[in-house]
Amino acid sequence: MATPILKVENLQHVYPGGVVALRDVNLEIKPAEIVGVIGQNGSGKTTLVKHFNNLLKPTTGKVYFNGDDTAPLTVQQMSKNVGYVYQNPNQQLFARTVQAELEFGPRNLGVSEEEIQERCENAVEFFGLQELREKHPYRIGFPLRKLVGMASIYTMKPAVFILDEPTTGQDNITTQTVYRLIRRLRDEGATVVCVAHDMILLAEVVDRLIVMRDSLLIADGKPREIFSNHELLASTHLMPPQITELSLRMRKNGSASSPICLSVDEYLNAVKQLRAK
Amino acid sequence: MHGVAIPITMIPGNSIIHRTNPLAKLIWVVGYLVLAFLTRNPLVLGILTLLGLILVQMAHIWRGFLMVMRVLVPISLMLIVLQSIAPAFPRPWSPIISFAGLTIYREGIYSGLSLLLRITSVTTIAMILIMTSHPSDLFTSMQKVGMPYVLNFILTMTLQLIPILQQEFAVVLSAQKSRGLKGTGFGAVLPSMVPVFVGAIERVQQLSISLESRAFGSQGAKTSYREVAVTPKDYVIGAVGTILTIIGAYWIIVNSAALDWSRTMVFAPYFALTLFLGAFIGFFIFIVIVFRSILQA
Repeated sequence: MATPILKVENLQHVYPGGVVALRDVNLEIKPAEIVGVIGQNGSGKTTLVKHFNNLLKPTTGKVYFNGDDTAPLTVQQMSKNVGYVYQNPNQQLFARTVQAELEFGPRNLGVSEEEIQERCENAVEFFGLQELREKHPYRIGFPLRKLVGMASIYTMKPAVFILDEPTTGQDNITTQTVYRLIRRLRDEGATVVCVAHDMILLAEVVDRLIVMRDSLLIADGKPREIFSNHELLASTHLMPPQITELSLRMRKNGSASSPICLSVDEYLNAVKQLRAK
Repeated sequence: MHGVAIPITMIPGNSIIHRTNPLAKLIWVVGYLVLAFLTRNPLVLGILTLLGLILVQMAHIWRGFLMVMRVLVPISLMLIVLQSIAPAFPRPWSPIISFAGLTIYREGIYSGLSLLLRITSVTTIAMILIMTSHPSDLFTSMQKVGMPYVLNFILTMTLQLIPILQQEFAVVLSAQKSRGLKGTGFGAVLPSMVPVFVGAIERVQQLSISLESRAFGSQGAKTSYREVAVTPKDYVIGAVGTILTIIGAYWIIVNSAALDWSRTMVFAPYFALTLFLGAFIGFFIFIVIVFRSILQA
């Protein structure tokens, strides 16, 4: 088996003031995996992912990147390995133009000027920012600003992307862009960790789900397993996507052979097959 | 993340000072202001500071108080440096020692020391007021004695915004670090300032809209959830503060000639030089520590 890109061992985090935010978390994330982290607010999701790029240091336990202990590294040193996209782009953006924003990260990493321009071209094309290049980041709408925030990490080409609620506050078009981005990142070999409440994202895009509750990691599995586990979801007040819920109730009420569906397409296929029988 | 923030807020407690009415304490603050600005005499200012420290001890707020002083005193040290070489004092000045093109004046040291003590004494009493009174109690009491509600509200909001901005700054700084921010000095912190200020302005705009939509500025007397009791003890404390201030002010004005020690206090050259260099180095170290702690936060 390949070395996990991120490995968390007996991680515990206690905030100053004594609030225990994480208790004994163990986790391995493989390269090119898309992992969703879910749980109620205050369950420890963000605290967990902040350990991945050293924004928080473990109180006890260890975090490994590619097999190496991250403890001696600073956030700046980790930033070329792990990119963190904040939930609120306003906390991340400061430059005068979108273009400058895209250049900031790679320039800090010491990437050559040619390479920076190439990466910016790529990012602009992928995120559809052609019109906005010379605009001020604060003059563009919130959804697009959020994309700029992601693009500014994208140009740093980290091995792991942490996306904190990437689709919150997005309209349908930008939400789709985010889904495409996440899939493309995986295709390019990157690992993606999403903290999210967007159930469609978690059902359709993510390979693996991690469920947090009361600072504990309580479940880890494929979305299909997690979303079909009613007791687990109820215990932490989560609802599966409506289409999954529908297919689960269909199974319960008679057609036990029908599959658990995560998307509308899957559901349509299932209905077609049932009819054909 | 927590290194930058200085909590200038109430420290809960149940000392006699905590239980005193905020207005009574406010009278003492005003008294301090009057006395501290009436005189430059180091002894009087020193006594005021000492009395303040006794009150700090009574209120058990040493921790918070020292955190503020840890920042304030090094900054004020710069006063000694500047005053020594360019006193804010009527000429003629009497030079003590000259070196490297700079001359240290006796009036300068005197003026620097008295300014330092003045700042320390006034801050001490102000910190006692702020750290032992719930902000709402303070503002409710001030409203009772005729402070306009709107002005009161502006002050409360401003005070509440400070800790929020401090937190915001920490978040923004970590966002920039996640983007590989490096280097030291002001240039490195600058990228974080922009989002903080933009955020603050946005916050204030939203606040004004939300205030309008909740009928801020409508007519009629405002009530407060918190009731502030006034006991006879508070009247006594307030009265004592007023009387002491009046007596003190009278005494200072009558004896102003005798209290002016600017021509009689003599400093040895070595003392002056040590003070000057010590203050300078102290200030310099402080600046270095601040930048390092901001960058490491």
